[in-house]
Amino acid sequence: MLSYLCSRRKIAALSIAAGLLMSLPALAADGTIKIGSLHDLTGGLNIYGIQQAQGLKLAVNDINSEGGVLGKQIEIVEYDTQSELSKYTQYANTLLLKDKVVAVFGGLTSASREAIRPIMHRAKIPYFYNSLYEGGVCDRYNFITGASASQQLGVLLEWAAENYGKKFYIMAPDYNFGTIAATWIHKYAKEMGGEVVGEDFLPLSASDFGPTLRKIQQSQPDVVVALPVGANQTGFMEQFAAAGLKEKIGIVSTNYGSGNQQVVVSPDAGEGVIASQEYFHWIDEPKNEEFKKIWQAAYGDKEPIISEAVDAWNAAHLWAMAVEKAGTTDAEPVIDALESGLSFEGPNGNVAFQPGSHHLKQNIYIVRGNREHGFDVVKVFKSVAPTYEDEVCDLTKDKTISKQFVPE
Amino acid sequence: MEWDYLTIVAVSSLTSAAVLIIASLGLAVIFGLMGVINLAHGEFIMIGAYTALMTTRAGLPLFMAIALAALITALFGAIVERLVIRYLYGRLLDTLLATWGLSLVLYQTAVLLFGSTTPGIGLPIASVAIGRYSISAYFLFLIAAALVMLAITYLILTRTIYGMMARASIQDRETAAAIGIETGRINTLTFAFGAGLAGLAGGLLVPAFPATPGMGIAFVAKAFLAVVVAGPVTLTGTAVAAGALGWVASATASYLSTVIGDIIFFVATILLLRAFRNGISDRWRLKL
Repeated sequence: MLSYLCSRRKIAALSIAAGLLMSLPALAADGTIKIGSLHDLTGGLNIYGIQQAQGLKLAVNDINSEGGVLGKQIEIVEYDTQSELSKYTQYANTLLLKDKVVAVFGGLTSASREAIRPIMHRAKIPYFYNSLYEGGVCDRYNFITGASASQQLGVLLEWAAENYGKKFYIMAPDYNFGTIAATWIHKYAKEMGGEVVGEDFLPLSASDFGPTLRKIQQSQPDVVVALPVGANQTGFMEQFAAAGLKEKIGIVSTNYGSGNQQVVVSPDAGEGVIASQEYFHWIDEPKNEEFKKIWQAAYGDKEPIISEAVDAWNAAHLWAMAVEKAGTTDAEPVIDALESGLSFEGPNGNVAFQPGSHHLKQNIYIVRGNREHGFDVVKVFKSVAPTYEDEVCDLTKDKTISKQFVPE
Repeated sequence: MEWDYLTIVAVSSLTSAAVLIIASLGLAVIFGLMGVINLAHGEFIMIGAYTALMTTRAGLPLFMAIALAALITALFGAIVERLVIRYLYGRLLDTLLATWGLSLVLYQTAVLLFGSTTPGIGLPIASVAIGRYSISAYFLFLIAAALVMLAITYLILTRTIYGMMARASIQDRETAAAIGIETGRINTLTFAFGAGLAGLAGGLLVPAFPATPGMGIAFVAKAFLAVVVAGPVTLTGTAVAAGALGWVASATASYLSTVIGDIIFFVATILLLRAFRNGISDRWRLKL
């Protein structure tokens, strides 16, 4: 307990020091512009982290080959956060104090984002969080390029209700992403006159889903909303199918596939699983073919590209556009430029920052798992706005706000 | 509550217990019997899993692939013992550090070799119905597999000459050497045997628990606790501890939530170690 208090105090002190230092100009001596990359390259969350880091690198190479920003090359300072929360706080501070970066890209779980966000807010450094998540974050220094729950879940649950029925069961990880997403599912179910008949929250270390499967069978839902996070929870799909539940109960997810889980899951278990995200490898968009070509030239074609990699690619490009527009890498003018309604043609179509909420208006794709460890596109929703975030959060009016809104 | 729900909870909790027993037996031999804190146990399981995965995908039937997984991991264990562990017997903290380092190397090697996602084998889509409920047939098979694994390990270590020599070499190395047992070679064999059990576990579990570089980590903490709770009668003790703790946690999770199931597991471990300072098998009369 004592060490816990000490470390809290240390972090606070470091963050204040960071804030002071950050008022100094942050250009590196050799004339490159430094940005920070915090991703899980090892540990259970590297099924997302490796590709997030690769997406960022590819984007920076792309920008550098076109001459960089403001005539300077961009340099990435990368740290492996090892799927450990404490490493996020540690390296976020290192990036600010030692490396003096002008922007930070990173984080996968909502817990990791909430570890970084207050540090960046105090240091007044733009921070890009590039993952789908439960939504509601409202912070001048935080920009979110993944889809939020209100973007993904709304269309997904409507689709599920039409095709399977309105009795839902929630299987979610036991941290803020899972619990807040569950609140959203309750809210949507209620609005459509449906019902949540049961829910189970699982630790990220859980890999034996016997008890959850028993409870699902007992509560007899029409459809399971499964939100498996990390490598361990991938086994849920396998065990769900093997218990013979797939014929009777539908299964939908906002994040299955975002860590290429469909590659690991066998064809029998993966076929027919419905997912909704802002990007899938197989979508038919003009820029996607081109993007896949560059990606595969750099990293090979062994693994399909995940949505977080594209989120990171879009984030870097949007940041570079804002820097060009502002004519400086200083945080405040760059943020004002990001709030000026910037939009970018990404692999997933046009993405545009909503000035008030710092979330992207972007396409949402509903897909169905096939037998080739991939997905087939079922339905495309064009330019879906982050309605909830736009409704509760207007950072152009209140610049001091720093919180995460949660639906009642 | 209806009979079929009670039955399915009892049976499915047995499968959870079986999974934990399967994952713990190798550790019972290496840590419980030999006193080597093997933090690379999870990665040994992972090696078995990938071996089974690769050989099945090359066309080998699953059962042969599982046997091969045990064999390859045992071989790997023998090499590790020769190169690292044999210099560290009796130095508890040093083995801890060395095997932790080994686990990091193995984990990262797997990431480099296979990437973070590899196509899995998948569970056979065969289920058994109990009333209105159904359970995967493969999980039922795991209960039998755990029992067979336990019986064979017990027999090898108690009824064969090798088993006798293995226990002698560990209990009193000098006396064993004095009566002509090649303790060095026997220890290599025993370590390889433990590693082979971990590899076998990986092979048995890989259809249900997808092969990822970090897959072993999910099992290793609970396996260690089971072996610690077991105490001096390593093998039977580990089976009883892992079985009971796994069953209770899973049954709790079926009625409450998975998180509470985990909490019960850890609280029960603490209480058992309070009540039995040297492990639950402190006063048992069994050999192993």
